[in-house]
Amino acid sequence: MAWAAAAVAVTKPAPGPKRPGAITLAALALPGVMVATARAENAPDEGVVTVKLQAYKDSQPGLERIKVIAPSVHLLLPIAGAWSVEATAVQDNISGASPRWHTSISGASRMEDRRTAADVKLTRYFDRAAVALRYSYSNENDYRSNAMALDARFSSADNNTTFAAGLATSRDTINPVNELVINERKEVSEGMIGVTQALSKNDLAQVNLTHVRGRGYFNDPYKLVDQRPRSKNQTIALVRWNHFFEGNSTTLRSSYRFYNDSFGVQAHTAVVEWVVPLSERFVITPSTRYYTQRKASFYFDPVYDPEIGEPYPAGYSLSPPKHYSADARLSSYGAFTVGSKFEWRIDKLWSVDLKYEFYQQRSSWRPGGGGSPGLATFSAQFAQIGISRRF
Amino acid sequence: MMKKCVDRAIFLTAFAGVACLASGCAMQPPQAWEKGNLARKEMTMDADPLDQAFTQHIYFSKESASGGYGVGGGGCGCN
Repeated sequence: MAWAAAAVAVTKPAPGPKRPGAITLAALALPGVMVATARAENAPDEGVVTVKLQAYKDSQPGLERIKVIAPSVHLLLPIAGAWSVEATAVQDNISGASPRWHTSISGASRMEDRRTAADVKLTRYFDRAAVALRYSYSNENDYRSNAMALDARFSSADNNTTFAAGLATSRDTINPVNELVINERKEVSEGMIGVTQALSKNDLAQVNLTHVRGRGYFNDPYKLVDQRPRSKNQTIALVRWNHFFEGNSTTLRSSYRFYNDSFGVQAHTAVVEWVVPLSERFVITPSTRYYTQRKASFYFDPVYDPEIGEPYPAGYSLSPPKHYSADARLSSYGAFTVGSKFEWRIDKLWSVDLKYEFYQQRSSWRPGGGGSPGLATFSAQFAQIGISRRF
Repeated sequence: MMKKCVDRAIFLTAFAGVACLASGCAMQPPQAWEKGNLARKEMTMDADPLDQAFTQHIYFSKESASGGYGVGGGGCGCN
């Protein structure tokens, strides 16, 4: 998963009308793929280094589950006026317990792991276009991933429209510590097209369509009953819309994502963020997110086989199904996130930000009462602190 | 079934695109000298990509749906 990019624009003053051409390219900046400046068709004229400490912990009633502490660093370096290089490194320090089926506390297993990931991206800028090549690496003691991505973007003559296209591929190797499988592989290819449109002087909209094709090992080797298809195709449509209110200088950022995959999961995600400047130096951004998914076709509810019992699905002893999983992440549920981010722009070079979010999953938050039964409520907290320096 | 899903995604995208274009016509796309507000940092789609990468990584590990914001990055053992 991408851990790339940084708060490139955190301390960057907004360019004025003297640079009219860059708007949609800037808006098209993708995580880990593009540079999030407001002048993306030009190479950045200054570098940025960002350091963040990110923390995560989750729980369910009666069980403290996973904790993660993740220091990360990002560097953006302009080169020779037409190029830029970005590099990112992160280390996830993971510990805690995780249920091996559904949300069973008695079946929880303890774990400890460390993940190291790095990412390098080279971007070449042209008059109204940019092309980027990116390499990503992620390593854990039981999982290794190598990925390459190529993307390009082009703007219209009036610079109100930008078209984007991207391709990526990854090769993963899986060697779980319980040696359930050895040297298993997963290969994933992605393609994306998108368009960003300046709708008015205060409205910017974006539409992306992504297709992902995966082949190989999709099981979770640490779940006791998990047999998934070796093929997974995903289709994702994303719509984003940002609106600037001239009256109070606030910005409303919103998005909707439709997701569908060949496991049978269909999901909807809506996000709203409201950027409120408190003064020239302080900005607060409250946000909320709603997510809901329909269960995978092979997920089974916690109704177990009467002969061999928990955690095997009913009927398993007579005729085991081809695919089955008791992973609660494949169930039907709804989830809310609420949070807020606080930024302090210390001066033209330095800035600091803090962010806290609270997240909760509940079966009852699936619309229409279609949530999966028998699962405990899942809660998580995310926190971040970061500091950026331009040079 | 996959074809149906793809068709639905394409329909949604096309619908959004048409809506955007229609809105764009109604809203009057900006002239070159009217883009000051659009260039503000908070108007960029990923104003703090490191923040977004962290958050998306969490959702990737706890939810079935992921992606849509860009390609690349590779996998991990968290899902």
